[in-house]
Amino acid sequence: MDYFGAFAISASGMSVEKTRLDVVALNLANVHSTRTAAGTLYQPLTVISGAKPGAFAAALAGASSAALGAQVHDVRPVPAPPRLVHEPGHPDADAKGFVAYPGVNTLNEMVTMIAATRAYEANVAALNAARVMALRALEIGGNR
Amino acid sequence: MNVEPVGFLPPSLDVASAAHADAASPADFARWVAKEIGATSEKIVQSDRMLQRLAAGEVDNLHQVMVSLEEARLSFQLLVQVRNRLLEAYQDVLKMQV
Repeated sequence: MDYFGAFAISASGMSVEKTRLDVVALNLANVHSTRTAAGTLYQPLTVISGAKPGAFAAALAGASSAALGAQVHDVRPVPAPPRLVHEPGHPDADAKGFVAYPGVNTLNEMVTMIAATRAYEANVAALNAARVMALRALEIGGNR
Repeated sequence: MNVEPVGFLPPSLDVASAAHADAASPADFARWVAKEIGATSEKIVQSDRMLQRLAAGEVDNLHQVMVSLEEARLSFQLLVQVRNRLLEAYQDVLKMQV
C-alpha cells in the first residue's frame, strides 16, 4: 500500500531525532569527563542531518518513496573551547593547577533535547495520521 | 419534431464487449488475493521476527518495530475488508429471488 511510504518517511525522521537525542545524552554524560580513553579531552558532538537525495516529485510519479525522508549526514565535534577550572589537587590538572573540562553547554544541550523530543513526537503524529487515513479508507462502504 | 441524436456516446458502444474487455479474469483476482495473502503473511512474520529481536535486545530502534507492526496490521486489515466485501456480495447473490 502506498501508505507505507509515509511510514518510511516518518520512520527516517524518527531515526534522525533519536540519533540527535543519543548525541545529546552522550554530551551530557561527558560534561565532567576530564579525559577520554585516548587521553584527549572530550569534544562535544553535534548531528548534521539533511533530506535524503530522492526527489519528492519523482517519488510521487511512481518511484519508491523509500528513498525519501531525512538522514544523518555527519556527527561531528563542535570546536568549543574547554572549560578551565582551578583544581590543583586533581590528577588531570596542568602545571598551573587548572583542569580542562569539555566545553559542553548544558543549556544548549537541554534545548536540543527538548526540540528533538518534540520533533520525534511530530513524526509519530504524522505516522499516526497516515495510519488513521489508511484505516478510514478501509472503512469505505463498510457497516451498511 | 426533430429529435436530437444522442451525441455523447461513442457510436460503437457495445456494453457486453466493453465489460468483457476490461474485466479481469477470475484467475487474475485469485492470483491477486493469493499474492496479497502471501505479502501479509510475510509482513506478520517479519514483525514477529523484529519483536523477537527486540526481546533479545538486538534492535536499537523501537520505532522501527512499531512501524513494522503497524504495516502488518494495515495489510491484514486490507485483507479482512476485501474478504468482508466478497462475502457480502456472495450473500447478496445467495439471497437473490429466482
